[in-house]
Amino acid sequence: MREFEEACARGVAERHIHGEVHLAIGQEAIGAALAGVLRDSDAMVSTHRNHLHAIAKGVPLHPMLAEIFERATGLCGGFGGHMHLFDPARRFSTTGIVGGSLPVALGHAYAARLRGDDAVAVAVVGDGSVNTGGFAESMNMAGAMKLPLVVVVENNEWAISVPFSQASATATIAERAAAFGARGVRVDGLDYERVREAFIDAVDSARAGGGPVIVEATCYRFRGHYEGDLDLYRDQGDKESRREQRDPLAMARAELLESGAADEPELARIDEEVRAEIGGLVQRVLADPFPDPETARRHVFASGLDLPAGV
Amino acid sequence: MDAIRQNINVSQAVAEGLRLEMEADEHVLVIGEDVGRQGGVFGSTRGLQKAFGAERVLDTPISEMAFTGMAVGLAMEGYRPVVEIMFADFIGVCLEQVFNAIAKNPYMSGGATPMPIVIKTAGGAIGSAAQHSQTLWGLYAHLPGLRVVAPSSPHDSKGMMAAAVQSPDPVVFIEHKGLLLKKASSFSHGTDVPRERYTVPLDRAHVVREGRDVTIATLSASVGDALDAAEALALDGIDVEVLDLRSVVPLDWDGITASLRKTRRLLVVDEDYLGFGLSGELITGAIERLGLDGLDSVSRHGLANVPVPASKTLEQAVLPSAASIARAVRESGAGR
Ligand SMILES: Cc1ncc(C[n+]2csc(CCOP(=O)(O)OP(=O)(O)O)c2C)c(N)n1
Repeated sequence: MREFEEACARGVAERHIHGEVHLAIGQEAIGAALAGVLRDSDAMVSTHRNHLHAIAKGVPLHPMLAEIFERATGLCGGFGGHMHLFDPARRFSTTGIVGGSLPVALGHAYAARLRGDDAVAVAVVGDGSVNTGGFAESMNMAGAMKLPLVVVVENNEWAISVPFSQASATATIAERAAAFGARGVRVDGLDYERVREAFIDAVDSARAGGGPVIVEATCYRFRGHYEGDLDLYRDQGDKESRREQRDPLAMARAELLESGAADEPELARIDEEVRAEIGGLVQRVLADPFPDPETARRHVFASGLDLPAGV
Repeated sequence: MDAIRQNINVSQAVAEGLRLEMEADEHVLVIGEDVGRQGGVFGSTRGLQKAFGAERVLDTPISEMAFTGMAVGLAMEGYRPVVEIMFADFIGVCLEQVFNAIAKNPYMSGGATPMPIVIKTAGGAIGSAAQHSQTLWGLYAHLPGLRVVAPSSPHDSKGMMAAAVQSPDPVVFIEHKGLLLKKASSFSHGTDVPRERYTVPLDRAHVVREGRDVTIATLSASVGDALDAAEALALDGIDVEVLDLRSVVPLDWDGITASLRKTRRLLVVDEDYLGFGLSGELITGAIERLGLDGLDSVSRHGLANVPVPASKTLEQAVLPSAASIARAVRESGAGR
């Protein structure tokens, strides 16, 4: 995940990507904890900061990176871009509008009810989104209808330059769950094991008909809000110390070594493999074609209806 | 005004306009996401929180419905709120308050409840795909009760923001992301920004370049593209007049018809969706005023009823540019 996102950062720096890109470097423990838990029939709806969630949902890496690099071979043919990834086969989608992912996840949850199966819907959102009307309305409906909705909130303490503490009437997000007839848990989002436990528990409970659950995972984003953001609003010393001392990747590494689950040469070998895989992926994507400008009007209507430019 | 200063860009100009209005009237306040500590994601409220405090320059949660509605109550209490909706696209989550309260309260109250609110927002495409690239002035313009303006230069940005804040009407003030990020030195017009307080009228179009053969009526970032196109066309002997509309509601019909009486040819260039928007309104209005015989040609060029795609090749295919504007002028028959 880290390597993938660093490739995206380089893509911006080297101008292969002309739009903005939001990276979740520093929040990988959460992304990793979500990986492999859901089935294809479960839905996941994410936000502008979505790469790790897409990877966790099993979205294949080549079309995903190609979409981020604006290529014709991308997941959406280059029409969506990094902020708008859609993989219907895996019921994965995103939105660039904060709070907009919650009502969509509610729809997936209700679809499961209508079909009568045990699929769940997961909305992964940032702490900023919980202050939108969409959050309150969706949570209330999910609670009233006891829908299988799991909301994973990546509380990285900041919504661009506004700290959560200044924007929220409650100290935590988990405590808001009570108002919606939902369960709420707050976990250390830097700790892979804790998040995974909480997530699996939430999914199991929602799947079993227990109603909505909010999993609040605390974390910190290491980069600016988007690539190019000067990030002057956060305390630089605090940021540095967190990057040095609270890097979930480094923490997981240390734990693996300490527990004896892996040794240095093994981790080095994995690093090498990942670097080669992502490096190869980037090379492949860079060789992929850009979309044909002639196709720009395609997909406005699914029927193929093509209004002339005039009206 | 003699204290001329060249070196300020659009975001600085907007911030300066706001600062002077806030100094002049303590009822002016700025409300929105990231407007305070960060000074706006494009810097167009930079320095204001330091100057006026965190209560007059309020960093809000991402709760547009709530804080846009707050502006309504504040206006009823005699304040003059400037509400920033970070990108024009996000208006969707609070449009209810905009068109049911802000735009209608003055009317429904028989004039007793003015809404001196500025909705300040950034539009325009800079590679951010379908949900972050719209201008939407046609949408706002469709709603009666809202003035809608979109400046094209640092000079106008400062003066029009001042006029918007002073206006008793609600004003949707649409900045352009491309212009907000553009260096002061890259502007070809409107670079002289007086240091002192001044206003640019909200309802006057501006002839940025005089010409005889065709009028390009446009606004916001497309003015610069139209000027570039005009330079290229001049080499072929086509003399283009570039009319910066500045205001969509109201349209400056005196200015527009004066230009058209001279050139008799109209090309509307619009970065907004072409259908049911500014271009149709302008062309119809021009014909209504000048008659079918009063014009030799009308045409329009803009975002062709398609969401803005992510990939650069697709984006370039749908958005107006200097080159595509020049092509549209040639196709309009202006060269014949
Ligand atoms: C309705 C809406 N308002 C504002 C924005 C602009 N915006 C994009 S991301 C963001 C901050 C989101 O913060 P959070 O939800 O905590 O997610 P994070 O970026 O921290 O991952 C804002 C204000 C938006 N995209 N949509």
